Amino acid sequence: MFLHNFKYTLKTLFRNRSLLFWTFAFPLIMATFFHMAFADITEDEQLKTIDIAIVNNNEFNNNMLYKQTFNTLSDDNNEDKLFNITYTDREDAKKLLEDKKIEGYLELNNNTPKLTFQSNGINQTIIKYVVDEIHDTEKMISSMKTDMKSGMNSINTNVCNYVEAKEIELKDTANDNLNYIIIEYFTLIAMTCLYAGSVSMVSINKTLPYLTGKGKRVTVAPTKRSIIIFSSLLASFLVQLLTLGLLFVYLLGVLNVEFGCNVGLMVLLSLVGSLAGVALGLLVGTFVKATENSKTGIMIAITMAGSFLSGMMGVGMKYQIDKNLPLLNKINPANMITDGFYALYYYTDYSRFWFNIGSLLIFISIAVILSSRKIGRARYDSI
Amino acid sequence: MEKVIEVKNLTKEYKKGTKAVDDLSLEVYKGEIVGLLGPNGSGKSTTINCILSLLKYSSGSIKVFGKEMNPDSYDIKSKIGVVFQDVSVFDELTVYENLDYFCGLYIKDKAKRKELVEEAIELVGLQDFKKYRPKQLSGGLLRRLNIACGIAHKPKLIFFDEPTVAVDPQSRNNILSGIEKLREEGATIVYTTHYMEEAEILCDRIIILDKGTVLASGTSDELKELADIEEKVTVEVNDLDEKYIAKISDLKNVDVVTYSGNILLITYKKGKNNISDMVEFLKNNRIKYNKIFSERPTLNDVFLELTGKELRD
Repeated sequence: MFLHNFKYTLKTLFRNRSLLFWTFAFPLIMATFFHMAFADITEDEQLKTIDIAIVNNNEFNNNMLYKQTFNTLSDDNNEDKLFNITYTDREDAKKLLEDKKIEGYLELNNNTPKLTFQSNGINQTIIKYVVDEIHDTEKMISSMKTDMKSGMNSINTNVCNYVEAKEIELKDTANDNLNYIIIEYFTLIAMTCLYAGSVSMVSINKTLPYLTGKGKRVTVAPTKRSIIIFSSLLASFLVQLLTLGLLFVYLLGVLNVEFGCNVGLMVLLSLVGSLAGVALGLLVGTFVKATENSKTGIMIAITMAGSFLSGMMGVGMKYQIDKNLPLLNKINPANMITDGFYALYYYTDYSRFWFNIGSLLIFISIAVILSSRKIGRARYDSI
Repeated sequence: MEKVIEVKNLTKEYKKGTKAVDDLSLEVYKGEIVGLLGPNGSGKSTTINCILSLLKYSSGSIKVFGKEMNPDSYDIKSKIGVVFQDVSVFDELTVYENLDYFCGLYIKDKAKRKELVEEAIELVGLQDFKKYRPKQLSGGLLRRLNIACGIAHKPKLIFFDEPTVAVDPQSRNNILSGIEKLREEGATIVYTTHYMEEAEILCDRIIILDKGTVLASGTSDELKELADIEEKVTVEVNDLDEKYIAKISDLKNVDVVTYSGNILLITYKKGKNNISDMVEFLKNNRIKYNKIFSERPTLNDVFLELTGKELRD
């Protein structure tokens, strides 16, 4: 019975054209668009550095974090040089801005960075992003110093100096490899993982008597529902594995995307992410009472929204959500997957990666438990 | 006679307090075709869904093949076939594959399944459409496929839930003759419909439902005895003067006379030769008419008598 249902679930899934488009073709199309779009961005970024000014006051000169970061980002020997910096006084900086010789200028006052622009654009966004990053890092270090002072005066200075130095080092190291584009590909893989939800939802619909006539037929048959549901989900997962395999072959083999060397862990994360997708589909399929087409639309909308919030249409979104609505990204499975890849790519320490794997497993467990309680009811109140 | 279904005091009340089935009891015996007749919302489908253990019910008991029916009564379920009101097949599978899938939920042996699927295809007349997908079939053929999916495993008890809704006459005849054939092969059939003609033609016994309760049950003739009229005579006549209506009312055996549009309807509670008396009256009064015919009371009249409303309201 298991194989019978498994075989026919695969048949129905592989003959569902709209499902095939969204699961197989859409991620490849998106990857192609990303590749075409980012190729241009990379070329542009290599050619252009941003002209800025920094008010060369005592506060700036005494702030090692700002000073060293901007030194690195404007170093002529740095391949990823981002800024041409003019160190000057406030009046001169104003004049340079009015004469449109710079995109903006930075002034540090009372430990607060003040940015002045005359217009908005991508360059201004980049400047603001860099300054925000430095400011957040500075606050974090400052906070750590305060905490430690309360009980560990003796090691305070040493540890903080170490952290401070390490942060600056980390910035430098990251900058050498900094590739925000890769996050877009991570979100694409995350989206593909969650598309497993559309597949599992379609396969689970046919087992639910309160949703479809097919579900009634299956339920009145002398077959254990657990066998039907498990074989249907397994067939969905198999379809998902093929989808992921195809996407990875395309990204690595055709588009030559560099994902680093943790391919094994990437595959692990993709598999767990796909299970999360299957679980999400199970959850939506079980709880949303609507037509199959409406539910597919809802599932795609959830997946796209999750991917968008995790940075698919610009890494700034992920940054803003992490900063302002961290809980949203903590419960967003697309972000758990994206952030897991991010952690693998940027950090040598795997704790953040395993945290995301753990979060996904918790998400899967909750979805499966809730769905099982709903599906497992022997009889229904209404159908 | 062996009881196949025994429902006692079944009540299904929804959370909002609406009673879909109210203290309903019924029995179905081996080899008979029992019709559940009632308007939409009368509780026919709810009763079937309770019997099939799809729906929770508030009180009562249900036995099928002499055993308490539960969701995990797989031995009982293996003997049951259900043809649901809505067409419930996979658009992605062919006619043959749909049948093989649903039959496979009951029959593990591939060779036996193949044989059964072929038989079901033949029974519903879909031999020429085996490789067609459902979307390529007409409404009537789709209904036939829906039926075949419910009966391919040769069940001993079959529920047909309004299988002829929105089908063409040819498919309807095919479906009804197929059901007769299944009974001949030994199946017990529960057939829900709101088409009284179908119930009269097909069913050995009819249970009339309304608002979740059994209003009456019996053979078609037994039920018609419940109607308070013996005969209805209908005359198609133009511009009939009021004075004649009064005169007709005074004729022997006449109970009620109505004239609406150009239809004169006379109901009789008893008596013989009513139609010939009416022809005589029309002739004597030189009233020209287009046609005249007599009818025995229908199940609709029984329903009207019992509830005060038409079956198709």
